[in-house]
Amino acid sequence: MWMIKNWYKTIYHKLFHLDDRLLLIIAGSITGVFSGLAAVALRLSLESALEWLQPFHHYWWAFVFPGLGALLSSFYLEKIAREGAGHGVPEVIYSVSRYGGLLRFRSSYSRLVSSLLTIGSGGSAGPEAPVVMSGSSIGSNIAKLLGLNDRQRITLVGCGTAGAIASIFNAPIAGLVFSIEVILGEWKFVNIIPIAIAAVAGTEISQAIIPEQVIFNHQMFQVGFFDILPSLCLAMVTALISVLFTKVLRQAGKIAKNSFFSLWVRAVIGGCVVGITGMFMPVVLGEGYHFIQSMISGTFSMGGFLVFLAVFAKIFATAMTLGWGGSGGIFAPCLVIGSLAGIAFHSALLSLFPSVGCASQGAYAMLGMTGIISGVMQAPLTGIFLIVEITGGYETILPLIVVSSISSTMSHYIEPASFYFKELIERGQFLRPGTDARILSDLNISEIIETGFIKVSENMVFREFIELLKNSTQNFFPVIEDHTGEYKGIIQISSIRKYALDPGMYNMVFLNQIMDTEVITASLENDLQEVLDMMDINNMDSIPVVENDRFVGMISKTRILDLYRRELIMQTSV
Amino acid sequence: MNYKLLHIFRNTPFGRETFLQSLYFCKTINAFPVAYIPKTDKFLMYFSNDAVQIDLDHSYLKSPKTAKSHAKDLFNEMGIKPMFYEPKNFTASSLPDISTNFDYLCCPRSVSDLSSRIGLGHIGPKVRRIIKHATFPILITSPVFKPWKSISVFFGGSKNALNALKSGLKIAMSSGLPLNIYTLLEKKGETYFKKLIEENDLEEPVRQLSSQWHFYKKSDFDILLYDVPHDSLIVLGAYGHGMIKDILLGSKMEHIQSTVTNNLLITGPHCSISLQ
Repeated sequence: MWMIKNWYKTIYHKLFHLDDRLLLIIAGSITGVFSGLAAVALRLSLESALEWLQPFHHYWWAFVFPGLGALLSSFYLEKIAREGAGHGVPEVIYSVSRYGGLLRFRSSYSRLVSSLLTIGSGGSAGPEAPVVMSGSSIGSNIAKLLGLNDRQRITLVGCGTAGAIASIFNAPIAGLVFSIEVILGEWKFVNIIPIAIAAVAGTEISQAIIPEQVIFNHQMFQVGFFDILPSLCLAMVTALISVLFTKVLRQAGKIAKNSFFSLWVRAVIGGCVVGITGMFMPVVLGEGYHFIQSMISGTFSMGGFLVFLAVFAKIFATAMTLGWGGSGGIFAPCLVIGSLAGIAFHSALLSLFPSVGCASQGAYAMLGMTGIISGVMQAPLTGIFLIVEITGGYETILPLIVVSSISSTMSHYIEPASFYFKELIERGQFLRPGTDARILSDLNISEIIETGFIKVSENMVFREFIELLKNSTQNFFPVIEDHTGEYKGIIQISSIRKYALDPGMYNMVFLNQIMDTEVITASLENDLQEVLDMMDINNMDSIPVVENDRFVGMISKTRILDLYRRELIMQTSV
Repeated sequence: MNYKLLHIFRNTPFGRETFLQSLYFCKTINAFPVAYIPKTDKFLMYFSNDAVQIDLDHSYLKSPKTAKSHAKDLFNEMGIKPMFYEPKNFTASSLPDISTNFDYLCCPRSVSDLSSRIGLGHIGPKVRRIIKHATFPILITSPVFKPWKSISVFFGGSKNALNALKSGLKIAMSSGLPLNIYTLLEKKGETYFKKLIEENDLEEPVRQLSSQWHFYKKSDFDILLYDVPHDSLIVLGAYGHGMIKDILLGSKMEHIQSTVTNNLLITGPHCSISLQ
């Protein structure tokens, strides 16, 4: 046993100790393989579930399927997996920005099962967010197993995300871009290579296991100069729809939470409403990939007005699924809403200007998808690369860039926070690398506190204090109660000058008469940002830290600045 | 000293017993108890290399309206200023993050039989994982409030045991209670352990604070357990075996906590205890 341990230690040291890039590449590719497997497993299970339920869909009572699915899904998540609610992407971003990418092992499978139950039964949601959660958790747990540090663990979380997205869409570049643009929020050389390799590994796994199952067949589109202006208009339309979609999703969740129904009843109601909507408009059911395929290939048979209605029906169905207790992501619904919006826009364009020589319906479906993805996630690059990769429509890259840029900018203007970030921003926990908030949150208050201060008794006569002062360089003296050691106040050298210059006062004054008891104090529970705010509001350069009525030390702005610079250098030098 | 103990408050008669135990522990060693009254049936603790989710049973959420006043009454009964912990961060809306910035944490003990599970709740299975990652010792209370009059350190010579010894010495220093050391001689002799104490600069504090050092033969482990006074706080280090070793050989810690009803204070591999 010890020989194996020694051998492992030697190899580990020789290969990885000097430069961790090789370690991250190897660990990243393993992460990519496992997250790819998780994505493939969910995709195959979803197909089987949908196929199994297909013969029952023509019965009138089939509307209960999504309700039952949502019920089982929320029961599984709440009682068996005991996971927090939500689709999981904000949880991954939160963990990356606050806890070095630490994720629970159960997250690697819990949302796969819950989203299978929701989507497989017909709920309107996508499997992408669950696989992102799963892949990220796999990456985090592999890092835990290898004993990696926070920075390396974050990279592996990114690898897991990239591998999962790449696998489910067969789109490695989109996986890489999504991981860096949305999850990690920083483009660093040290991250990009392992994540790119993980994305490739995820794609290869997907192609190896299900080579025949490409989500969307590649199409050739003829997009000309005359499509630029309509693209601009479509971008604005998709931006507005994105904002509407985000708001409806959030409102649905709030309404459900404030309702008097229990979690289980809510899930059943939400699912059944989706089921009923789906009986009249089947495009709202499930992840909707085959509808997208027919829209791209121009074989979608719904009329222009109905397509327009379907946009809102899909928004409504997704909100009812995810807000009322189902589990899943918004990636696939965005694609369906986008393609519906695209072909509705195309129909409107042709009815207003019948002679205009614009591109095909499929091309506009693509542009619509890009617009919604970019608008909802406010991630323009993800929108562009994902659509180009999954549809193979490289010839539409120029209008795609236009639509993506305008849609994300406009939706950002109307609603500054994307769907994924909104919740974190509201909780004050959106901490992107390199920002003030992130650096301050990474500094531990206990390492900033200056300790070793000489404490003085409240009953000390001023003459004794003057003697003490002669041999001390302290500017602040905490005053404590003799018996209990309780903090009573503080003496600042600058504020006792008048007593110090009058020797007649030396024997007449006690410290409890001249100490400052009004000074604001901080506690170890305060965040550094809160401490800085307290100092700013009260115009202080140093603040005493008191915990349980005991003086702990002082925090000075100079010390904060020193450590801030150190942390900034550390975070930006990697 | 400004030590803080986190206690997850349970508003039930059993919860009262464990809380009284925490309060007694804090009062004896001059630490400050901080009570957390859970509002959800789960919470997360982020350690340096693991995120541990604690799933609470429903007894933790019982009678939320009276929980705070009951806790306050118990604080007052012990003459301790009430302090409550409110989580600031949330991983998900129903999943608060509980700070790991404490000096002690109180957990109910892990149990294996159903009858005691009813009384002790199922936070227990997570205790080992918390011990594995925590930088502070874990207090596992006795099922009923039981004031302790001495400290018993189980010292087996490992790194964790050294931490346990330091922890025991520290408690003896702050409480003024007598300390006994118990050592099971497995492969090494008495001199080895005494030399180990010397090498770690613990000879002087052990001489000053411990009243007796008991040595037992390997086969006398159960005799050792019986010899420990029933009203003594047992301080021990987690043995730190892996899961496979534990399954094959059995866990000493598990054996101790399922055999004795004393209060246990367990130091894990990441604990850093200083006598300063």
